[in-house]
Amino acid sequence: MADQIVPGEHIVAPVSAADDVLRVEHISKSFGPVTALRDVSLHLKKGEVLGLLGDNGAGKSTLIKILCGFQKQDGGKMWLKGEPYEPRSVENARELGIDVVYQDLALIDELSVYENMFLCREERHGRLPFLDKLKMKREARTALDDIGINLPRLDVPVARLSGGQRQSIAVARGVYSQADILLLDEPLAAMGAKEGAMILELIARLKEEGKLSIIMILHNYVHVLESCDRVNMITDGIIALDKPTKDTSVEELTEIVVDEYRRARSAAKAEEAAQAAVALADRDDQ
Amino acid sequence: MSSTIDSGTPAASPTGGPAPKRGAPRSAALPLNLLKRFLIAREGSIVVVTVLLTVYFIHTLSSAFTSSANIQALFPYFAPYAILAVGEVFLMINGEIDLSIGGVYLFAPYLYYELANGHVPLLIAVLISIAACTLVGVVNGLITMVVGISSFITTLGTLFTLEGFTLIISHAQQVTAPGSQLAGSATSNSLSSFASIFGAGTYSELIWAVIIVAIMHVVLVRTRWGVHTIAVGSNRIAAAEAGVRVRLVVIRNFMVCSTFAGIVGILESIRTSSITPDPSGAGVLTLSAIACAVIGGTLLIGGAGTVAGALVGALFLGVLQDGLAIKGVNANYLDFYLGLAILLAMAINTYVGRVRRRSGIG
Repeated sequence: MADQIVPGEHIVAPVSAADDVLRVEHISKSFGPVTALRDVSLHLKKGEVLGLLGDNGAGKSTLIKILCGFQKQDGGKMWLKGEPYEPRSVENARELGIDVVYQDLALIDELSVYENMFLCREERHGRLPFLDKLKMKREARTALDDIGINLPRLDVPVARLSGGQRQSIAVARGVYSQADILLLDEPLAAMGAKEGAMILELIARLKEEGKLSIIMILHNYVHVLESCDRVNMITDGIIALDKPTKDTSVEELTEIVVDEYRRARSAAKAEEAAQAAVALADRDDQ
Repeated sequence: MSSTIDSGTPAASPTGGPAPKRGAPRSAALPLNLLKRFLIAREGSIVVVTVLLTVYFIHTLSSAFTSSANIQALFPYFAPYAILAVGEVFLMINGEIDLSIGGVYLFAPYLYYELANGHVPLLIAVLISIAACTLVGVVNGLITMVVGISSFITTLGTLFTLEGFTLIISHAQQVTAPGSQLAGSATSNSLSSFASIFGAGTYSELIWAVIIVAIMHVVLVRTRWGVHTIAVGSNRIAAAEAGVRVRLVVIRNFMVCSTFAGIVGILESIRTSSITPDPSGAGVLTLSAIACAVIGGTLLIGGAGTVAGALVGALFLGVLQDGLAIKGVNANYLDFYLGLAILLAMAINTYVGRVRRRSGIG
């Protein structure tokens, strides 16, 4: 706690531009006594892939959940394509063009592959309330084929699938939701090298097409440098770094984190020493 | 299960049990595969158990069981339970439960009686009563989902509240159900069309049950409501993250459950032409309805269940009660056998469920 980062201390301040599809200013969020986000400002250009980095518990997932309408920020404002953006719900955010792939995937074990892929945007027979299962199956198959994920059957519950398969279903659901902005929280977490490569290839392809803008949380810096146009690093609830990928390196990113750990450790030591001193003083009193 | 029935591969034909015709190994394997899929379907095992039970009663009781009089007598043993169980299925898939259906079941006919006595037209009185029951569901849902009390406790509360309220307004007196009297003069022996639609007709409750089961089956497997119900029960957080309106889904299912309980209360009162303030009977009714849902393959922890299973579960309990009664089993033994049968049916269900999960057939 002794070592607080002052906002703006070593940040290149986010540069807003006319072609920002998403702009976020001074977002804060606390959960009871725990502050997840102190003061986060970021922006996303059309067709850009922004890598969001940060230590565990830095607030990355909280930021994603605010952007996708699942949680509401305590303070700060957001703009989507120049309009004030205040999503009422996940569904509302989706209608406005922002979709998300959660870290926990948000898959329903008991539902089938295609039911999961169309959860909350189910296809129906025209105006009738009945689900068009054939159409959903067909479109799910197309989407999965497109990524290169081969599942023999789409009507089995997803509980039966491997971690990597589940993750690719969640990613496919986000990518093919016709969103303008896609938020990906650790899209490669449960994947093997082969499946991970498929997803990275998909993201590269989407970037080339240029229609989709992406904010992506990743842990692997090599992946970040390979797939992202720009990186933002969240440290202690603020954006501590904002750089184009070409201007940074694995070494620099690692150094920031190592530095963060070093400072955290020295802070912990200082606190320990202070406590020891207090204990000593207490003993002396007796 | 041997591997020979897994598919129609040629390797299956030489070793398969019944020798298939030459050149048609597929046609032999297909029915077996279908049979296997049926047996391990969620409600498949209880269908088999019910059929076996029926065959046993037909065999031992012959005409006493198969007579049309007995088959008609069987309807009230299962139709009301089927309707109640369908409501419970939706809530139990959500991972919730409604214990208040017994209270709603008692309350609805008394409200109907009071309204009819106040010269409200019978049909309107029925509709208002059922709407009031729907409102009980709203209250159950709001207390559970917004206040955040477990549905077991919430509905236990509304159960006692409604039972008590019913005893107060009825002065614990049995009354005659309005509209259930024979139409016209004493010489006329026919039921009014109102009474025959709302429970008194021989097939009335059966038809209500079949219609409700059919509609709710379609709702569960063919609509967003059904998919979202399963989603909420299977993983509430993931469902919310995906955008499912969890509260709305659960409250709606509470409304359905209470509505059906109200319908059954009115149907039963007009069928028996009397309204009886009997909380203990209502309690048994509640638990039997939950038993039907569970026997039919619905999980108490949520996430899975079928409407067809609830119907079959109700049929199982109905056949069992009716058959035991005709066999002249002492009334004291009835509950004893009933309990054992439920345990046995559930044990089979659970075993088959394990086989299902291993086999990879959905």
